[in-house]
Amino acid sequence: MSAGRVYTLSFSFNFPEHRCQVPALSKSTSSGQATPEHIGGGNKTRLLDAANLCRSLGATAAVDDVSIHLQRGDVLGLLGLNGAGKSTTLRMLCGMLVPDSGTVSIAGYAMSEQPLKARARIGFLPDQPPLYNDMRVHEYLRLCGQIRGLKGALLARNQAFITEQCALEEVNTKLIGNLSKGFRQRVGLAQAMIHEPDVLLLDEPSNGLDPQQLDTMRTLIRAYAKNHAVVFSTHLLAEAQAICNRVAIIHKGKLVADTTTDGANLEELFRRSIL
Amino acid sequence: MIGIIARHEYRALVQSAQTWVITTLLALLFGFLFLRQLEAFLNVQDQLALQDYPVGLTGFMSAQYLQPLALAFSFVAPLFAMRTFSDEYQKHTYALWQSSPVSSTSLVLGKYLGLSLFVLLLVLLASGMLLLMQIFIPIDLPVVVTSAVGLSLCALASTACGVFFSSLTRHSLIAIIASFALIIVLWLLQSANFGNLPLQAIQNLSFANHLAGFFQGYLQTADVAYFVLLSAMFLALTIVRLDLLKQTGY
Repeated sequence: MSAGRVYTLSFSFNFPEHRCQVPALSKSTSSGQATPEHIGGGNKTRLLDAANLCRSLGATAAVDDVSIHLQRGDVLGLLGLNGAGKSTTLRMLCGMLVPDSGTVSIAGYAMSEQPLKARARIGFLPDQPPLYNDMRVHEYLRLCGQIRGLKGALLARNQAFITEQCALEEVNTKLIGNLSKGFRQRVGLAQAMIHEPDVLLLDEPSNGLDPQQLDTMRTLIRAYAKNHAVVFSTHLLAEAQAICNRVAIIHKGKLVADTTTDGANLEELFRRSIL
Repeated sequence: MIGIIARHEYRALVQSAQTWVITTLLALLFGFLFLRQLEAFLNVQDQLALQDYPVGLTGFMSAQYLQPLALAFSFVAPLFAMRTFSDEYQKHTYALWQSSPVSSTSLVLGKYLGLSLFVLLLVLLASGMLLLMQIFIPIDLPVVVTSAVGLSLCALASTACGVFFSSLTRHSLIAIIASFALIIVLWLLQSANFGNLPLQAIQNLSFANHLAGFFQGYLQTADVAYFVLLSAMFLALTIVRLDLLKQTGY
């Protein structure tokens, strides 16, 4: 990312020690009893269930009946024009905003009933990374790990691993306030992944990144998605095509398309969906 | 979790230049008031000795030095608290807490504890000046202790008030103005004249009414309960406010 240095990333993205265990899959989900899809097992465990989400902001229906279901290994690109409802959807998925109706369940934990357990399995990077400018990078990542329940040797191992993965070694002792946009974005990504969440939610993570930084970010997300589920919002179709195996298009708060990217002409699909 | 949040809040507070500017001014006030009242005692101690129940140095300094500091602490504590949540909203860092497995209760208590620790250190500094006199003369330790308890309770209730108003707005200036307004009202209630209206009970809500006993060496349950309940009420309101934010967004 910084000039003159090329970062190589581990493509397996296996944390030193898996902490997050998916709870018993026979557990009821928010949408009712466990279904065969929930007990699919293997690498295709359902990690995110969002059903019929609706949310009004003022008199406007910001999100209207949006349902998203993700399995382990899925990378979902949330596409839409500015103001389509992507960020509001992500904020509901991570528990920051309560939906007017509908349910969100993370790895079997209903957000409305067990919010702390559900949020422990989420990593969220908002469009403006939640960074404390007066903290050093390592202090900040340590705090993020601690509030997600990591401690002792596991915290140290995860912090070292994520620092390496996000190529933050050279700025580890610097104040966050002094970092460039690219580094800030990477610190934001590191805080979202330090506890190895089952579901990673990224709100326009590529904002303000240069092409090389974009490439590194994509590699990182793809590598992470092999053992987890990732949702990221973007309005760049090329980015969605490059990273995702699924795309969902939101227009005026409604989910107008949800399909795989295999052989799809996203530009055509997007144009048809928002007409 | 509360400990982690408290440490974070305390660290943020002591790393802020604003904190040290306020602390320096406060320390100057402590020193000035202490020396001024000590000098006043030396001037009147002969007259005091003629009274049936002469007031000693500790009693005099408690009433003349520590008691006025309660007013100072009730306005300074919200200055430390005003950025607690306002800054988080303003700088978009609140999303970190909202998307983490941290309950509103833990967040509020953690932040409050972090702030309280710093405020209590300032109370210790103010009381410590009086305690240092013990090197030269015997002092009435229980009076100093009850005075310090009174100061602490008053400062902690004001901190809780500041935390609550900070949770209401992303502008810390609005938070501090609202805190000052409420604290002024709580002080002025003592002298309020309600005429013929049956509102005398409202005077019981005054800071001053509940503080006087502490500086005379009395530790009364009603006074302690007043400040504890006031603090608890503001903290509970803050928790409700944070939970409501999930409904309304911020």
